[in-house]
Amino acid sequence: MTKEDNKGAAEDQDQAQSKKAMKKQQKEAEKAAKKAEKQAKVASEQQADEGEDFATDRYGVPPMIQSQDKPERALVRVKDLTLQKADEVVWVRARVHTSRAKGKQCFLVLRQQQFNVQALVAVGERASKQMVKFAANITKESIVDVEGVVRKVEQKIESCTQQDVELHIERIYVISAAEPRLPLQLEDAIRPEGEGEEEGRATVNQDTRLDNRVIDLRTATSQAVFGLQSGVCQLFRETLSKKGFVEIQTPKIISAASEGGANVFTVSYFKTSAYLAQSPQLYKQMCICADFEKVFCIGPVFRAEDSNTHRHLTEFVGLDIEMSFNYHYHEVVDVIADTMVQIFKGLQERFQTEIQTVCRQFPSEPFKFLEPTLRLEYREGLAMLREAGVEMGDEEDLSTPNEKLLGRLVKEKYDTDFYILDKYPLAVRPFYTMPDHQDPKYSNSYDMFMRGEEILSGAQRVHDAQLLTERAQHHAIDLEKIKAYIDSFRYGAPPHAGGGIGLERVTMLYLGLHNVRQTSMFPRDPKRLTP
Amino acid sequence: MAVEELSALEKCLGLKAGKYSSRAQGESQIPVLQTNKGPSLVGLATIASHLVAEAKKEELLGVSAEEKAIVQQWLEYRITRIDRLSSKEDVRNLLKDLNMYLEDKVYMAGNKITLADIIIYYGLHPVIADLSVQEKETCINVSRWFSHIQHFPGVRQHFPSLVFIKNRIYTNIH
Repeated sequence: MTKEDNKGAAEDQDQAQSKKAMKKQQKEAEKAAKKAEKQAKVASEQQADEGEDFATDRYGVPPMIQSQDKPERALVRVKDLTLQKADEVVWVRARVHTSRAKGKQCFLVLRQQQFNVQALVAVGERASKQMVKFAANITKESIVDVEGVVRKVEQKIESCTQQDVELHIERIYVISAAEPRLPLQLEDAIRPEGEGEEEGRATVNQDTRLDNRVIDLRTATSQAVFGLQSGVCQLFRETLSKKGFVEIQTPKIISAASEGGANVFTVSYFKTSAYLAQSPQLYKQMCICADFEKVFCIGPVFRAEDSNTHRHLTEFVGLDIEMSFNYHYHEVVDVIADTMVQIFKGLQERFQTEIQTVCRQFPSEPFKFLEPTLRLEYREGLAMLREAGVEMGDEEDLSTPNEKLLGRLVKEKYDTDFYILDKYPLAVRPFYTMPDHQDPKYSNSYDMFMRGEEILSGAQRVHDAQLLTERAQHHAIDLEKIKAYIDSFRYGAPPHAGGGIGLERVTMLYLGLHNVRQTSMFPRDPKRLTP
Repeated sequence: MAVEELSALEKCLGLKAGKYSSRAQGESQIPVLQTNKGPSLVGLATIASHLVAEAKKEELLGVSAEEKAIVQQWLEYRITRIDRLSSKEDVRNLLKDLNMYLEDKVYMAGNKITLADIIIYYGLHPVIADLSVQEKETCINVSRWFSHIQHFPGVRQHFPSLVFIKNRIYTNIH
């Protein structure tokens, strides 16, 4: 090949290449032009839209509430949105539970605690296209103020608690916007047990729930659980006050462990160390010695047991009772049992909605009890267990599986979820427990059980300084550290008995839940200190 | 273990005690019976069948051809499945299968007790003794069958009697 040829060929190639490049450029230019055109069109449309937006003052994000105004506006509760309010114009403050835009309409589910209502923004006289778009873009869990008309619906809205009406929104303002990504979805957190797995849907495990407790507590189930728990405290107070009890407050920082030193938290206390109270035991007894006769106390209790089970927490709320009696400690047992029965009855009467809400997610049998409460002796309990094939020593404490089995046997025989087990072996009870007058192997102590799990532990206490010293020595307790306690019985002490209940356990077992963390708002266990 | 079972079976069949030894095979011990005439017999099912013939209670091996086959099948099941349970998981699966099989049966084969019932009862004894009340109720048909066989005259011998609750107490647990 000559040089010329070479050159020519190269030129041809160049030309060909440039032709290709030109075509490409042209195409790109066309594309860009089209794009620009489209953008311009969209922009102009938007402009046109914005121009037409007649509802700008009907939606938006108002300035942060810093208490600048105090408008005369009545905010209606979502649970009150019923047929009686049909065709009324109301203001509501609620969370956006879900939103679903569909063309010119946007459906919202507005939630307030465990109640929710369907709301609707539709393009029309009152709402513009932009307003519907704005409503559709509000993130889930944002708090909004809404003005709307309550309208009767033809077909019941099955997915909401307010089934007979919906809210036709006329104004919507975002009071507090939520971040778009939530750490867990409320629908996943409220799905009934087992249902999610069948449909391959997500469920939220316990740890995720607890890590994001604030959001988990918003679910209807959590709202109901803690509503009911508040009811337990309220009924406890009410009942005991009626029976003439005095509520007391006791210190939680104490100098000596009340039930043996193994499972208490030690805190540094200036130049010495102190303990966190395992129970208000010593103080409520001292109140008895100080003539308060009948006392109760609701407050935190600490246990440093390194047990990670479904029913142990390191900090829980204790409901404690102590009462002086005349001749027999059963006088006290009867009072405590009746208090529990009053609580169960009160819950049934006043918290039916809550019970049913929880039942939807965690199905369980209704709680059953007898009046008067069934009382079995430890020996009878053992006999029932042995009849069922369990091998146990006379003075052995009940293990958790045996406790549960006994609960089942009692339920089968007596049809009750609540019973008292009386006369425990002395060896398994704390030093201040009064021995039985007939058989010193046993004691005047009792446990109460709900659905086969222990909720209360109590006993007649030793009110004689001499015997108390002996018992403490028998348990190898340093007398020096409990001197103040023993001394309080030297100046005349009435016979007395009492018991302590775990609030979380009562709530858990009443509702038939499976984990005490579900009934503790911010649970503390050996592995969890936050949130 | 197998030797103890065979002596229990002998007593159950009304025979005199034979001379047993055992031979290690892998991890398990295989029983060996020295008979008066002929060669020694090896293996649990073989010896058990021999003892039945000796006691002239052949009906325990099944009467019809089908029954005979079923009895053989369960003898094999005993040796290959029950004697080789290693995990809790194995036990659960085995009990689940047996529970389903026994749902509409009183005995393992046919309407009368056979050698299969006796041999499987002996084999399951340590397994059932280990179960909790709730587990026993979960495999209720196995429990019913087991309780029936352990009360069958002569079968239990030195095996401890196990407790079964007659009322269901876990009915409302899903």
